[in-house]
Formats: sequence, structure tokens, C-alpha cells
Amino acid sequence: MTGLWVKNAYVIDPISGIMGEIMDIAIRDGKIVEEVNDGAPVIDAGGCLTLPGGIDSHSHVCGTKVNFGRYMSPEDMRAGRTARKGVMHVTSGYSVPTTFGNSYRYSSMGYTTVLEGAMAPLEARHTHEEFTATPHQDMLANTLFDGNWSIMEAVRDKDVKRAAAVVAWTLAAVKGFAIKLTNPGGTEAWGWGEDVHSIHDEVPHFGVTPAEIIATMIQANELLNLPHSVHIHCNNLGVPGNYQTTLDTIGLAPDLNRERQSLYLTHVQFHSYGGSTWQDICSKSEEIARAVNARPQVAIDMGQIMFGRTTTMTADGPMEWKLYMLHRNKWSNHDVELETGSGIIPVYYGRKSLVNCVMWAIGLELALLTKNPWQCMLATDNPNGAPFVKYPEIIALLMSSRFRENERNVIDPRTEHFVPLFAIDRELDWYDIAVMTRAAQAKALGITRIGKGYLAPGAEADIAIYPLKPDELDPAVDYQQVMAGFAKTAYTIKRGRVVARDGEVVVEGANSTIWSRADVPPEYDLNQDAEFVKKFEQYYTVRMRNYPVQDVYLPRGLSIRTEASL
Amino acid sequence: MRAALNTGRTIRQGSYVERKNSPAYREEASSLHMNRVDMLELEIEEGDHVCVRSDQGAVVMVACPAEGLDRGEVFVCLGPFANFLVDPETHGTGMPDFKTTAVTIEPTTAPVPAVKDLMEQCGGSGYEG
Amino acid sequence: MKVEDVVCPFCGCLCDDLVVEVDQNRVIGVENGCTLANEKFMGDRRLENPIRKEGRSWSDITYDAAIREAADILIDADRPLLYGWSGTHGEAQSVGVHLAELLGAVIDNTSTVCHGPSIMAIQEVGHPGCTLGQVKNRADVIVYWGANPIDAHPRHMSRYTTYADGFFVKEAFKERKVIVVDVRKTESSAVADEFIKVERGGDYAILSALRAIVRGKRDLIPPKIAGVTREQLFRVADICMQAKFGAIFFGLGLTMSPGKNKNVRNAIELTEELNRHTKFTISPMRGHWNVYGSNEVFTWITGYPYAVDFARGIAFYNPGETTSVDILRRGECDACLVVASDPGAHFPRACAEHLARIPTIQIDPHVNATTHLATLQIPVAVTGIDAEGTAYRMDGVPIRTRKLFDGTYPSDLEILSKIYARVKEAKGS
Repeated sequence: MTGLWVKNAYVIDPISGIMGEIMDIAIRDGKIVEEVNDGAPVIDAGGCLTLPGGIDSHSHVCGTKVNFGRYMSPEDMRAGRTARKGVMHVTSGYSVPTTFGNSYRYSSMGYTTVLEGAMAPLEARHTHEEFTATPHQDMLANTLFDGNWSIMEAVRDKDVKRAAAVVAWTLAAVKGFAIKLTNPGGTEAWGWGEDVHSIHDEVPHFGVTPAEIIATMIQANELLNLPHSVHIHCNNLGVPGNYQTTLDTIGLAPDLNRERQSLYLTHVQFHSYGGSTWQDICSKSEEIARAVNARPQVAIDMGQIMFGRTTTMTADGPMEWKLYMLHRNKWSNHDVELETGSGIIPVYYGRKSLVNCVMWAIGLELALLTKNPWQCMLATDNPNGAPFVKYPEIIALLMSSRFRENERNVIDPRTEHFVPLFAIDRELDWYDIAVMTRAAQAKALGITRIGKGYLAPGAEADIAIYPLKPDELDPAVDYQQVMAGFAKTAYTIKRGRVVARDGEVVVEGANSTIWSRADVPPEYDLNQDAEFVKKFEQYYTVRMRNYPVQDVYLPRGLSIRTEASL
Repeated sequence: MRAALNTGRTIRQGSYVERKNSPAYREEASSLHMNRVDMLELEIEEGDHVCVRSDQGAVVMVACPAEGLDRGEVFVCLGPFANFLVDPETHGTGMPDFKTTAVTIEPTTAPVPAVKDLMEQCGGSGYEG
Repeated sequence: MKVEDVVCPFCGCLCDDLVVEVDQNRVIGVENGCTLANEKFMGDRRLENPIRKEGRSWSDITYDAAIREAADILIDADRPLLYGWSGTHGEAQSVGVHLAELLGAVIDNTSTVCHGPSIMAIQEVGHPGCTLGQVKNRADVIVYWGANPIDAHPRHMSRYTTYADGFFVKEAFKERKVIVVDVRKTESSAVADEFIKVERGGDYAILSALRAIVRGKRDLIPPKIAGVTREQLFRVADICMQAKFGAIFFGLGLTMSPGKNKNVRNAIELTEELNRHTKFTISPMRGHWNVYGSNEVFTWITGYPYAVDFARGIAFYNPGETTSVDILRRGECDACLVVASDPGAHFPRACAEHLARIPTIQIDPHVNATTHLATLQIPVAVTGIDAEGTAYRMDGVPIRTRKLFDGTYPSDLEILSKIYARVKEAKGS
């Protein structure tokens, strides 16, 4: 492969400590290098903002429930469609675009790596098939363990090592990246139409509590030395007064890892509600941010909502039922044997809904009140809070209090009585945004070790050049330009190759799927464990030998190997 | 006799579905299951040929008694015999009325066609190989 | 040689516990399979080589010539229809969708004449479902509505429902109640604790009555509805409401009978209603082993599960207009590619007549009814016997079928990829 120069770039690379310098970047064989020969082609960045490729650390783009979101929503498919053009396939969909739709739109926004937020192990093969059809981003899959029977049995037996063995076996079998707990215990209870309502409620029939599951899994995660931490969607999502559950969950996190957080809390906006009903719901972002600020061992993402139509989809089946009882639009549910659940309903977030306005404010507050941007990542729990194409607008809101004030005038006027947003004058700067959209994600996911999230020699040459000149723009004022600039890169470079220009994808993609493989001692290898094998054959409806995802599903698989401390 | 034609899967239909030109498939696909009293009324016995006619056309099938059917209800497994009679109208759903075709049934001595013959009647050319 | 944990490529149950004995290029024994599986593996008689019709007579041709001709027919067509797909693996389906995109064709799968109306209903009201293991491990009430699993899905009851012991249901046969709703007595209704025999066309009314009863409006119910007594409906509603976990499985008795998608919608809304009292799920009994896979693949590429029209560049979907039966009925398509299905046998006669009028290409391992209508047939390996690939079970669980031996036939994927390449070259893109 020939080299490539990106010259005259305004670089912010937080991991390398580069805070906005005009520099040249040399690329060879998909990596960033010290230099390439003078004959190499040159991209003149013209002083434009140049960042490591964007990384989304929590998004729903591939797999069973995402595809069901498409399947059940022709109205959403019609709401965003493009014809075949050049190398670009047909796309459909607004809030749940087709795989190519997701991939092209992310690529146009400079995103080169995306973590799928929830993969049911039994259906992992599906997620991987869609990953292959999302060709412009390297993909990773959070793997659901919230209702895993073998895990709950290990938790009941207070056997952390057994739990670690189950995780190691499962991640290797399904080519998953990290441990995801979605409403831990609640998804199993939902198998009976029930739920858990605090971290200390007992899961029916299993004699364990969410708190015990969470605490055990945090320990197990570190025993396996996995790149990412436990990634949690807390209990009680969307319930007024749930901030207490969130604080309780944060309180469970020990500080076990020097490189990154020990617990990642996702879409925290949905978990920061005060009040006790939909009438008195209010923001508890200050309490949550205070807890985060006090604990370097946790990291969060915003879970911002934006006004408009979208589709909610989550493994949290009972939550979707509750939401359906509010919205009464249409409801899908899909429980997965021995493992987890899921649900989908379309929603509309309105500026005239006080509850929605409070939710909108809370997400922004979390980002503005979390002092350290490395602890709060920008995400919408795509598409739950909003489709990811709204990220540029969120960036603009965070960078401009004037923009927020303008919005104040068009939302429910009572909002300000329930939220502190309009008393916060912090405006995030370019560096904060660079952290919150790629660097913090790379660190939180533990993928700097494979060259993600920075631009120093040795890194993967995943680069986004935005048509924004930081020296000539005041984001507090020029927020419309900020929004437009982050919506379409001038160039998106993936592994050293220009993949998108001015909002159009220009090559066929060739992504990687990144997964975690923890090597465990033979006595922890569950393939050899008669009890595990027997239960598997008894209670699953697929044979154990047909369960693992074959290598053929990961044409460019990249495993991060670790040695378990068992 | 007037009757309502229902269609559906049978295990024999499924068994021979990949050998549609076999006698076994023809036998199953052309079996008209009907109420015994209706058979008495038509003065036919098991194995007798009947001409089944709808507004789409007519096809010869073989009568056989069935316990689970009421009078006036007949059943044929899905396949080219039943489909000779089904209206392609879908009422905007993409799905024809496969389970409710109004038919008349009368005894006949005409032979039961092979699947190939039916397709030739549709304009095809039978493949013997 | 015995191969274990073999996946059966017949029905939507996708049983994956078969043991198949293979002698070189031939299956000589099947264990654990149902009658349909045994026939699928043991009764396999293939078309030997590609065939082509000239005038009214058939001759053998080479694969290369067949692929060339197939591509040329499609390139020459103004409004090609690519139909079938449910009997092949996902990787081949995926090439099929991209071929349709390239051609500006209509692509449709066999859902169009099985659970298409179910999809339309789901698009109106959603789908509360679950994987089959959830039913096996938990359900104490099973409802089969307009479905006859003993004939159509012979191991459904033993693997997943009536007779399947599970974690919370140790002795399934004793602990589970089975309700069957049908217009006729079947083998399946014979094993039911309650058989509701509905008058033809009465499903919608019965579903509405049950919804009313579950809502607490028993006083509205007349003594008899569609041939069913009020007492039986009360009894059945009570069984459902008292269930710890109920599972409804419905078949073509709902999708093909008057009301069609509205029947299914009503059944889904009954399920939703029951969820206010207990846990209930509903699932379509998908027929072809990988018909659900074709819905999945179509959806992630185009946004729609079936009946996708690329004629205007974008993906367009409108059942009743872009569905195969309607396109053929109107005589609209001027070429048809049939893959892994048999519309000659399974579409109304008027559709078969149109297939005979236009160039119809069939890619299928076997001689079937469509063969006689076609101008060209290309035999391929049977996925699950001498080709492998991804299939989606009726509940959405993806399973990779096994290849039992290296046969001499190319796979669907290989043939379609070659056609795609030739079309792409001709289109200059």
C-alpha cells in the first residue's frame, strides 16, 4: 500500500496530548507513521479540524432487535431513503437505517468504530452478519449477561471465578467484546412478566439480587483482564425517582483498574430522574454528576434525547412494556432463553411534552456538570434518545449556551422549574468534544492498545477531517456552522484509505470485528465441564456445538487476547 | 355439489415436495378430502375421480373420506391441483384466498393429470428427464 | 461416517440435533429426524445438469452457458421479478438482494404466500414474541391457532412445546395445557386439552370475543360465536389468564383465511391484552426452514422483509402491489428468476400461466412444477446437505447449517455470484 500525507491539519489528539496544533500526518500501510516519502499523495487539510476517527461506545445498529426495528417499521424505512449511487448501496430508514445506511451516515460524520450496545449471545451470529454489512466501521459487540442462568448460579454460589469462566467461554463462543448488563436480573424476571425495582430486589427463582450480579461481574471482568469494563444499563430505566438506583449502582463500583474505569454506565440520562410520577419528574443530574466527579472508577455516556421521532430498542423488555403502556403505539418484545430479553417501540419526543423537555435537559446537564470529559461520553443510545445523525446538534448545544438559550424559548416553558440546565453557563471547547467523541471512548473501551483513538505513530490511520477552522470560529456564536461541520467530514480516512469525502462514501468498505478472548486455565474451560454441558443440552434449544459463531462470520476478525488471572 | 375448498400442509405432501413428478406426490396433491355423507350423496367411493371446478377452472382429483371435515367442506393439500382452482386476487394483501375457494364437485371418469400435464395446460413444456 | 448435530433444512423448526450417516456423496441414514427430515435427506433426487428449453423441447447445457443466458435474460428485462429465496442460505439471499438492486428488479420471498400478512400485522401493532427455549422452559399453556404442527412442523411439539420438558416445567405433558383452534379436526387438535372448532372465516370474531372476555366484558358475549359456545370461550380465556407463561403459535389458518393480516393483528392484540394479566407471547409458525432468514436479510439490506421493488432506484415496498402474486396476476414482469422455491406449484394457476409466457429461470436442485414452466434451470447443491450457510429459525435464532459432504454441484451462492458479476459488468458499474 502506498503512503499518504495529511498536511496542514489542525490536530486535536487528546490521548497524545495534542491540543490543537497545525501538523502533518504521515500514513503507511493503514498506520500512522513518522513520515512517508515525498511522492506520496497529499491531502491538504487546509487548517481544518482533524481528529482521530470517531468512536461510538454505545449504539444499536446491528442484530436481532435492531433488524426487528426495521422489519416492523416501514414508516421509518420510508423516512430516509437513498438510491444506489457509485459504490453506495440503496439505503432506507431514518431512526433505524439499513446496515449500509448506518455505515455511510456514520462514515460521513467521521466515525470509524462503533460498539453495538447489546448482543444476545444466542443470536450473535445475526449481529456478526450485520457487522459484515456495516463495512466502514470496525465493530464491537457488548454481550448480554444480565439474565444469564449460569452467571446467576455462579453469583448465588458466590463463585466469582465460575462467573469469569462463563464470561470467557461465552465471549469466545460468540465473538463478543465486553460484558453488558441490561437491567440485571430484570430481564429474567420479565420471563414471568415481572421486573426488579431496586438493586436489592431478588430475581425470581434464582435467589440473587442485581447488586450481587453487578458486583460479581465487575470482579469477574477484572479477573479476565478484559479490555473494557462491565458496561451497565442500570435497573429502573425511565422510572421517575430512579436516580437513587443509579447512585446505588455507582456505589457498587470499586476502583480496580488503573487504565480505565471499573464500571461504565450507559445512557445515564434515562437513569437520572427525581420525583415519583410523570407529573413531578425532575432532573437529578447534579446528584449523578457529583457521584461521577467523586469517583474516577466510573465513566458514563449521556444518553441524550433529541426532539423528534425515533425508535426505542433495548434488551430491557419490561421497560419497553412500561413505555408501551404510555405511548400505546406498537410494541414488540423478544425474550431470549437463558440469557436476556428485548423490546422495541417507536416514540416521538416532543418539545411540548414537559417530561421530554426534562429528559432533553438532563442529558446536556450530565455532560456539562461532569468535570472530566473523559468520564462522560457523547451518545444518544442510538436510536433510543435520537438517531446518531443528531450528534452534531448535540455538540453544538454543548459548545454554545446561546444555542441552549434559544432552545429554551421553544420548549415547554415549565421546564426550567424542573432542571438546572439554564443556570449552567459552561461551554465545552474543541478539546472537550474531541475527548467525548473518540478519545474517551478509546480509553474506556480499552482499545488504545490496538491503535484506536489517537494519531501518534503506531496508531491505526482512522482520521476525520471536518470542514471547520477552529481558529476562525467561535462555537458559542457560530453554532450552526459547528453543527454543519460535524455532520459531514471533508475526508474520512479509515485504515489509511479515504472512505468518505464531503458526505459521500467513495470506496467499498472492509471493516474489522474486534472481540475479546480471555485465555483461562484448563480447569475453567467450560467445554470440559460436564455440569455446564449437561445443562446446556437440557435447557437451550440449540446444540452446544452449533452455538459458537464460526470464524467465517468474522472475515477480518481481530481478537484482543488476555490472560485470565484465575 | 357445492363446497368450500380449504388447503394446507400434510405430512405426505411435505414428504414428496421435492419429488413433484413422482406418483406419490401426485396421489397426495390430487386427494380431495371430504365428508363421508357428501360422498354418499355424490354416490362416490374412496378412490373415485371427481371433477372439481371453480371460477378459475377445473381439475380432476381423487375423492377420499376424511373424519375432521364438516359437510360442504373439502380439503386438498397445497400444490398445483388446489392452485388450479384458486383465484389470484389478493385484495391488496399479496395473499390469495388459499383457504376459501368456492367449488363444485361432480363425479367423473376422466383421468387425474400429472403435475407436468397441469403445467403444460398453463403453457409450459413438460420436462421428462 | 456419522455426522452429529446436523441442522435439518426442511421447516422453520430448524432442528439441529440430527445424526446423519453419509457414504461418500450420499446420505444413507438419519436419526432423530421426523418423516419430513428423513425424506429430505434420503429422498434427494437431483436434476443432473443445467437444462434449457428450445421451442418445446429440452436440452442439456453447461453451467457457463446457463449462467450466461440467465444473466442475459435479466439484463434484457424491463421489469424482472426475483422470487423465492426461502430454501437457500442467507449468503445467497444477500447476493440476490444486491442483484435486484443492480437490476432495478422486484425481489420477493415466499413469505408473500405464507406469513406476509403476519408481517403486515406486525408492522401495524408489533410482535410480542420470544425464542422457542423460553417456551420450552417456562410455558404452561400452549395455543396453536390455525396451525397443524404434527403435519407441518412435526417436531415442534416434542422439541419446544407440548412434550418438551424444561427448567420450570419438569413434566411437560402433565403440566402443560394445549389449546388448538382450527376449522377442521387434525392430528394436532386430537392431542389438545381444548379444541375450539371455528366456523370457516370465524377466527377474527373468536379473537375479538376472547379479547372482550380478557377485558372483563363477559356480558357482551352471545351464546355462540362462529360455531363456538360462550362457555368454551370463557373456559379458554380463564386458562390463558391463569397461565404463568402462555405461548400462542399461529399458522396459515390465520394468514390465508378471510381477514388475513387483520386476523393476525387481532391475535397479536389478544396477546398484548393477556400481558396485562400474565406473561404471553405469540409466534408465527414459519414454514420453509429459512424463510425467516430471507426476511432478515432483505430487511437489513433494504429495510423491508419482502416484496421490495427497486425500479425507481430506492427500495419501495407495498404489499398488494409489489408482491409476486399481484405482479404475475397483472402480467407485469417480463422475466422471472426463481430461486429455491416452486411458484408453479404454490401460486394460483393464473400466475403459473404468466411464468410460462415469459423467460423464467429456475435455480433449484430438483425438478419441480416450475421446471415445466421455465426456460432454463440450473441445479445446485442443497444447503444443509452439500452446501452450508446461515439460516434463521422461526424464532429468529440464526444457525449455520452443516455441509455433509463435498458434492459435485455448485452452491446457490456460487451461481448467483457469477450471474451478479456478469450483470454488473454489463451494467458498467
